[in-house]
Amino acid sequence: MQFLTPPSRKRRTEADADTSAGTSGAVASPVSDRRIVLYEQHEAVPFQVPRASFGPSDQLVCTYHCRQMVKSEFFVALDKAEKENAEYTARLAALNEQLYKIEEEREKYRDEASFLQQELAASKARENSLQERLLKEVDNSEERYRDQLRRISELEFEIKKEMDSRVAAEQFTETLKETVRELQTKLESLSDSSEREINSLKRELSYVQDESRFSSSKVTAELERTRLRAESAEEEAELLKEQLIGLKEQLDECLTQKGEIEHHPSSSNVSSSNAPSDDDKKMIKLLQEELHNYEKEVQEARKLKSSQLNSELLKEKLLEEQSRRERVELELSKLHEFQVKAQKLELELTSWKSLLNDIPDIVSYSDIPKKFAELQKEALENMAKLGEITAQLKEIKVAMEYADLSKQRAETECMLAKEKVESSSLEVKRLQLMLASVTEERDRLRKDSSASNKDAGPPDDSRVKELEAALNEKEQMMKEMDSSLQEHREIIAHQHAELKLFNDRLTDESKKVKSLERESDRLRHEVALLESKLGHGDYSSSNTKVLRMVNTLAVENEAKQTIEALQAELKRTTERLQAVEELKGQFDAALPEKLVQLKNQIAVLEKREERYKAVFAEKISVFRKACCSLFGYKIVMDDQKRPNGIPVTRFTLQSIYAQSDDEKLDFEYESGSMNIVMNDYTSQTDIAHQIEIFIRKMNSIPAFTANLTVECFNRRTLC
Amino acid sequence: MASRTISKDIITLRGSAAIVSEFFGYAANSILYNRGIYPEESFSKVKKYGLTLLLTQDDGVKSFITGLTSQLSEWLEAGKLQRVVLVIMSKATSEVLERWNFNIETDAEVVEKGVIKEKSDKEIMREIQAIMRQIASCITYLPCLDEACVFDVLAYTDKDTTVPMAWVESDAKLINNPQMVKLHSFDTKIHKVDTIVSYKNDEWEDEE
Repeated sequence: MQFLTPPSRKRRTEADADTSAGTSGAVASPVSDRRIVLYEQHEAVPFQVPRASFGPSDQLVCTYHCRQMVKSEFFVALDKAEKENAEYTARLAALNEQLYKIEEEREKYRDEASFLQQELAASKARENSLQERLLKEVDNSEERYRDQLRRISELEFEIKKEMDSRVAAEQFTETLKETVRELQTKLESLSDSSEREINSLKRELSYVQDESRFSSSKVTAELERTRLRAESAEEEAELLKEQLIGLKEQLDECLTQKGEIEHHPSSSNVSSSNAPSDDDKKMIKLLQEELHNYEKEVQEARKLKSSQLNSELLKEKLLEEQSRRERVELELSKLHEFQVKAQKLELELTSWKSLLNDIPDIVSYSDIPKKFAELQKEALENMAKLGEITAQLKEIKVAMEYADLSKQRAETECMLAKEKVESSSLEVKRLQLMLASVTEERDRLRKDSSASNKDAGPPDDSRVKELEAALNEKEQMMKEMDSSLQEHREIIAHQHAELKLFNDRLTDESKKVKSLERESDRLRHEVALLESKLGHGDYSSSNTKVLRMVNTLAVENEAKQTIEALQAELKRTTERLQAVEELKGQFDAALPEKLVQLKNQIAVLEKREERYKAVFAEKISVFRKACCSLFGYKIVMDDQKRPNGIPVTRFTLQSIYAQSDDEKLDFEYESGSMNIVMNDYTSQTDIAHQIEIFIRKMNSIPAFTANLTVECFNRRTLC
Repeated sequence: MASRTISKDIITLRGSAAIVSEFFGYAANSILYNRGIYPEESFSKVKKYGLTLLLTQDDGVKSFITGLTSQLSEWLEAGKLQRVVLVIMSKATSEVLERWNFNIETDAEVVEKGVIKEKSDKEIMREIQAIMRQIASCITYLPCLDEACVFDVLAYTDKDTTVPMAWVESDAKLINNPQMVKLHSFDTKIHKVDTIVSYKNDEWEDEE
């Protein structure tokens, strides 16, 4: 509320008064000044200038006029003063009203000031509480930040340690994995090679078995052949015996016939028959001797045959032993190869052992999987720790977010408090301005009242004093409020500084959190890689083993059986190998000597056989010639086999008196019976007739042959 | 509207082992059908896990799978089973073409102390149903098996597990540089089963 005062008029009157007082030769009438000018002054002022112009009579008139004028002017001035006084009183009343209003307003302002004070007190209390809260929160956040910083530093340290250990463990695991892979590949290669060797051994076994079967079949076939040969030789011997017996009988018959013949023409031909009978006897004796010789030769031939059989058996045994020796030599070579392989494997084992010695905390190969398992456990523990660290990081994030939120709340509250404080300060300033203006008006009023109220009296001094006292009190309160505001401002500035520090710390910690998030992302990526490895099927052989169900749907059973059979054969071959090795050990010293002896024996027997063969061939040729000359037939013997496998001996007889080569008789000897075989010559009518008579009816082949020789002889001699 | 209360069923170690082994049996049948290992006419439809699944009627395969699931159940009850892998190989070359890897995490506390857990059967069935659906949809991204194939099952057990009569130790039958697809998992609170299928890179994909 502003009250308007007419300062312009006063100022004008004052200015006019000042100008009128200040000017020396002013002609302005004192009436217009509305100011009581003293006579002396008035006289001084006007008379100073026009003093020289007026005379003494004029001076008296002038003084009367002047007095009149002065009176009139005084009255006018009085009127004016009264009017002014009335006006001043009116103004005073107005001012009093204004003062009342001002007082009311002051009361209002007091109320408002008290309200403001209360609000200020409340704001102070709030600020105090906020400060306390902020301080508490700051302390808590500081403690949390310190704890978090400690945790972060500890976690960083642990993370570094774990990362270092993990890197080392990973490197170690990689090296171990590589070594394990190499070992596995080598094991696989060794297993493959062993399987191949087993397969090759199995094949060789099969080959050996086949060869043995083949050799056994060969041996049996040869045995059968020799048996058959022996049987045929025996049969031939028997045939020869029978022939000899037959010849003997024939000889006996011839002798008896000769004797009979000799008895009849004995008288006439005694002298002539003695010589031929002596010759015959000699011949007979010779033949008997030859027969004996032939019997001896046959026995020798039998002995030769037996010796030959023995030699053949020995040869077979030799062959078997040679084959055994070859097999043993092959197996020895294989043993050499196996020894070489074993040496290689031993070298590899020594190299692996040296590797094991290089690897710390490992004594034997079985420790590698344990170490690997331990490293994997450590890796898993590190992963678990990393998981815990990520969980802690998340908790830290949550705490950071909570701190940010609290910080934002505190900032907003601070902003609100600031705004309130600013508003209160603005209001205070406004009040101050109001007070200043009020004091100015008061001063003016005082001056005006002092100038005008000297006449009106001092009715409102006490009130003004009271007002002034109140104003002073208000001023003091305002000063106190200003001081408190300044203190609050300082506190707020201090809090701002602290907030800035906390913001800086928050930014640093947010950076740290971001770096930790990156590390956590990297660790998650590594976890995903490990999970992919797990999904791929990798496993730790120290903790896990892979089992497969035997598939009854497929050929696995048969494979198992075959494998078991092969394993059994392997065992047998190994046992045979061991037996052969033992035999070899036994025979190693005795074999060559025995072989030499046997070879010598074989040579001797072969020589004997050749001699016997030559002797037998000579004797046989002599026997044939004798038989031919005695019986008149050239005999050719041929051994054949029928399609059903039965051996048949074919004899082809050609008479010495035959006129052509076609005149041949064919006989077959089978299982002790001699049968004639028809051919072109025997199918002739004459011969067929003779065959019919002598062989079919009389069952006598010798009669037939004798008859035929006689006829051939007659033809020859007659022709 | 009536208030829905989450009902939780008690699950024991034996029950969880039965659930997991049964799941593997149905999963193996589903894989054999979807990958065409055996002809379609040798499979019959059954209702399980809220779905229509296909089971083989081949006596040999059926007996094989029943024997397998019974052994898996034993190992699960003993807490010895770590992983089960169904391997699909070429019949001609014996090359491994696909590996269906079922990783199993067992709660050791349950095995040691016999603690009982609680989980809704419906929840477990729903999880298994999701996996079965994924197996059925695998033909969209797995390469075609143009040649005759055979399957085999590997079990990753603890080192101290005794090898039964019908089982032998084997190699892991790994694939070089495989592609891997991770499927859903299910959890009975005692056994958690994760499924990953890894397959050999198709030549067409390599050329691309």
